[in-house]
Amino acid sequence: MLRESATVVVARNETWRGSAATEPFEVGWATEAIIFVRALKAPIGVMPEVRIEVSPDGMRWLPEGTHFALPAEDDGMTMARVAHFGNWLRIAADLPDGAELTVLVTMHLK
Amino acid sequence: MMAGNDRIIVADPGLSRFDPLSRIIAFDDFDRGGCGWTQLTGNYEGSLDTMLPGFAQITSPMLSTLGHWETGSHGGIDGSYALKLATRPDRDALSVGIKRLTFRKAGPIRFEFYATFKPEANSLALSQRDIKSIGFLFDLQSGAEDGERVMPHLRYLNAHGDTLQEKWQFKRHRPTISDIGDVGETVSHFHLADTDWEDLPGGGQKLCYNEIPTKVNWHYVRFDFDLETMQATHFQCNDRVFDLAAFDSIRIAAMPNLWCMLNVCLFVETNTDKRGFLYIDSACLSGDF
Repeated sequence: MLRESATVVVARNETWRGSAATEPFEVGWATEAIIFVRALKAPIGVMPEVRIEVSPDGMRWLPEGTHFALPAEDDGMTMARVAHFGNWLRIAADLPDGAELTVLVTMHLK
Repeated sequence: MMAGNDRIIVADPGLSRFDPLSRIIAFDDFDRGGCGWTQLTGNYEGSLDTMLPGFAQITSPMLSTLGHWETGSHGGIDGSYALKLATRPDRDALSVGIKRLTFRKAGPIRFEFYATFKPEANSLALSQRDIKSIGFLFDLQSGAEDGERVMPHLRYLNAHGDTLQEKWQFKRHRPTISDIGDVGETVSHFHLADTDWEDLPGGGQKLCYNEIPTKVNWHYVRFDFDLETMQATHFQCNDRVFDLAAFDSIRIAAMPNLWCMLNVCLFVETNTDKRGFLYIDSACLSGDF
């Protein structure tokens, strides 16, 4: 049987300000993921790093330990690889006052 | 002697819980993956900003074991996974999953599925009024050039405002069709707004909600539709068969690039600022051809 694989859009054309995160997503069937963040518009302000978070229940979240940059220009992209994440996965960032980023976030799971 | 279809059903316990017509178009057991159910997205042109807000909020379906914080994975009827539709944590939020097909014969079709629904279990309370509705629809267009686009909708209105409703509703009033972008080639209509729903006469039904937000029970739904007459012919939930004499569909002029379209959608709406979840254990779409 072919291995299960999925591309999932977890944030599309969402403008992040302040504390932002993707919606909880269940990935228990998968063992690895690549997460891409693409800027759909020119970022405003200085972009912080984004962190990968895991959860026991989809409601309470802890940092998984992986951090990566957010894109710094229009149509820019960044990514991170992650494995051994349990059932729930999301990314989260805390943007400083005045900063703004419109994102397309995709998870590529298998 | 059993007919061929009966032999298949007896040999497959997963299929034996359905009553399909002679041709199985799709048997989606989500223990085998997403089975072609994806998120409904709105039309856009030039920029994603042109997408109507009702569509922009919709999230991706996911495979779920119905994992709960205090009892662990609930699982499906006979396997680990179900398809999960999840809304955002906002009142009146909506999420929609869609399977996109075309039909090869304009005749009877039957859509059956096993489903359950709950709000996010983020409070130690019954939470019975937190889901507004669950529902389904077909998005169809005739193969004949003088045909119509026809969209039968049904939803189980669980709660609205402070009150339980527990009744089935349908929608036949056509929504406003909006031009999208500035090229003149794209339109969009948000047909799932919380307006123009009408009570199905005799459509009251109490379901098995169960006693806390993490206990779920699966329900059976069956909807039959004739693609030749573009009329609904049967609607059933568990042990109740409903009279469809008053039922009708949204009917709009055929669109220039949707011939023989057979789309099936499932959706969930919230009544409070909690995420709403609709789980589908399995679904079967069949036809008489």
